[in-house]
Amino acid sequence: MLKTWTQVFWVIGIALAVVTGVEYIIAIEIANEPNLTLLSIIAVAKAVLIIYFFMHIYRLWREEGH
Amino acid sequence: MAVATTAVAAHPERDWEKIKRAGLWLFFASESVVFGLLLAARFFIEGTHVDAHLDQALGLGITSILLASSLSAFTAESAIAHGNRKLFYWGLIITILLGTVFAFGVAYEWQIAEFTQHESFGTIFFTMTGVHAAHVISGVIMLVMLLAQALRGRFGPDDHWPVAGVVMYWHFVDVVWVFYYPALYLINFD
Repeated sequence: MLKTWTQVFWVIGIALAVVTGVEYIIAIEIANEPNLTLLSIIAVAKAVLIIYFFMHIYRLWREEGH
Repeated sequence: MAVATTAVAAHPERDWEKIKRAGLWLFFASESVVFGLLLAARFFIEGTHVDAHLDQALGLGITSILLASSLSAFTAESAIAHGNRKLFYWGLIITILLGTVFAFGVAYEWQIAEFTQHESFGTIFFTMTGVHAAHVISGVIMLVMLLAQALRGRFGPDDHWPVAGVVMYWHFVDVVWVFYYPALYLINFD
């Protein structure tokens, strides 16, 4: 998938920027209507990207030596 | 003491780093309870109401700054893991600057807010952003301490756990804001 840290930097950086922009546009377009579910899904998606690629949560259960 | 020394000697360094990493995640779990309760209180007290006078451009701006700081923190950690000290220094410095700008952005938002702490939305807003900003400031202090140690020659590809730990904390603070930003600014956008 993403093999080098520079690839992670660019791909996840651009993904976070795009998703944040989409989140803002959705908030404007669906103004004054309940948009809690959609915004929650977007927030979870952003959090998963950061937790997996930047915080390396998978290292908690990775076998030693890998 | 003798038991601890024996235990360290019996296990390779990699095991201990894994244990430290697990301890840090347990800390994040306990912190998540605090931040989660504040988030729950926001919806319990105010529903999905958002104050119309919040500066949306400022909210988007400080959110972008904090996300960018996660990228620079990731760069710093990756650079030291690969032995690139110059990029490591710059990653730390940029993260410190962005974190400081974020904290000033929150302070400015407090200053221009057209609601007070005596209103329910004000109570929620000042408490959530205040607790979060306190974590940002503590993160900046830890990053400055890292930079001071790094400039004295500490850390390298085989010895960078303190860098990884502080950077993970920084990312955690970013994750919290990923949930706080829509909850405070975007829901029922006016």
